[in-house]
Amino acid sequence: MPKIAIDPVTRIEGHLRVEAQVDGGQVKDAWASSTMFRGIELILKNRDPRDAWAFAQRI
Amino acid sequence: MGEGKDLRDSSPTVYQALRQRGVSRRDFMKFCSLMAATLALPASFAPKIAEALEKAKRPSLVWLEFQDCCGNTESFLRASNPTVVDIVLDVLSVDYHETIMAPAGKDAEKSLQDVVKNQKGKYICVVEGAIPTRDGGVYCCVGGRAAIDIAKEVCGNSLATIAMGACAWDGGIPSANPNPTGAVGVKDVISGVPIINLPGCPANVVNLTGTVVHYLTFGSLPLTDNNGAPLFGYGTRIHDACQRRAHYDAGRYVRQWGDEGHRNGWCLYYMGCKGPETYKNCPTALWNDRTSWPVGAGHNCIGCASPKFWDTMTPFYSRLASIPGFGVESTADKVGLGLAIATAAGVTAHAIARAGRKHIRHEDEEKTAKTEDK
Repeated sequence: MPKIAIDPVTRIEGHLRVEAQVDGGQVKDAWASSTMFRGIELILKNRDPRDAWAFAQRI
Repeated sequence: MGEGKDLRDSSPTVYQALRQRGVSRRDFMKFCSLMAATLALPASFAPKIAEALEKAKRPSLVWLEFQDCCGNTESFLRASNPTVVDIVLDVLSVDYHETIMAPAGKDAEKSLQDVVKNQKGKYICVVEGAIPTRDGGVYCCVGGRAAIDIAKEVCGNSLATIAMGACAWDGGIPSANPNPTGAVGVKDVISGVPIINLPGCPANVVNLTGTVVHYLTFGSLPLTDNNGAPLFGYGTRIHDACQRRAHYDAGRYVRQWGDEGHRNGWCLYYMGCKGPETYKNCPTALWNDRTSWPVGAGHNCIGCASPKFWDTMTPFYSRLASIPGFGVESTADKVGLGLAIATAAGVTAHAIARAGRKHIRHEDEEKTAKTEDK
């Protein structure tokens, strides 16, 4: 079965890749993956809790 | 686009493009006045800018998004006045921007490749977001390619690259301690092309437009400070242009959120305001279509245009900057030590010199504040 990939997916905020398995013009299976990682959770650790909003807001 | 031919030769000038979109001559002149003010030029320069934009072709622009939150794109698009959006989008011919472009997937990649190939050395590249370097750059990929590879190709073939926002400038939030993905700024991995940095989280669209208009008007990129940031936007300390400055000088401070001082718009220094340490034109350029800015709205400046601000300017609500590891009650001496460590971590010598300068100034202000407090 042919597999198609759409990367980048545009008109969204963030990075997204979609792969789909196509059979006879029909999508049989599909996978979406976010192709960017920063580790904001790791960066937030051990910081002043009053600052958390500013960090989390940048997700 | 034609093979090897610059089709922009037959494209409309900035002014023609604006007129075609229904922007009146009056709005155009208002825009030119805004640009003269943004570039810190006398109002008499507005006609010179107008004359230049009447002749200038719109530069091709590609916008790359890497480790970002899209905040600079929001800043770029979120002017509430449609005329301003039109003007910005018409001054800049945005040929590739994942968030706003119609094509996706391979077609999107083709749009980018067309510009890189056909406009080599002639287009402006705007970068939003940091570039991860750890593990071969796998932490940000577009179209199956690592951000660092895309940046080297697209920035490397540009006329000039504009690093928009804190992340693209010095790594920003992804590079904050402990920098899980080895994120860096554009200047750390790209060389050989002029780079203009627009620090801030986000950067203000007037500074982006101002940089391009400066190039179209004078044929050169604007003068920059030791961070590579345009002096017109980053040459003034926030504290010196602050609307609450008179309260600082008179010793009238907010001591608690919602107290009498806060209700009366007094100085936010004791609430952790980083305005005395931060260089940016927020008080004059303003935000949200020039309606207000954080300090105007009653919140302290968080120092987002300062080097490594997520580490050096936090905790945001503490008067003294502290470095992670030193705790909330760090002394100024410890902060100095922290900055020395940051040098070892690879912050540029220039940034340190500037941070040091600010550090000294900060101590002076501390004294002043204490004196006035008595």
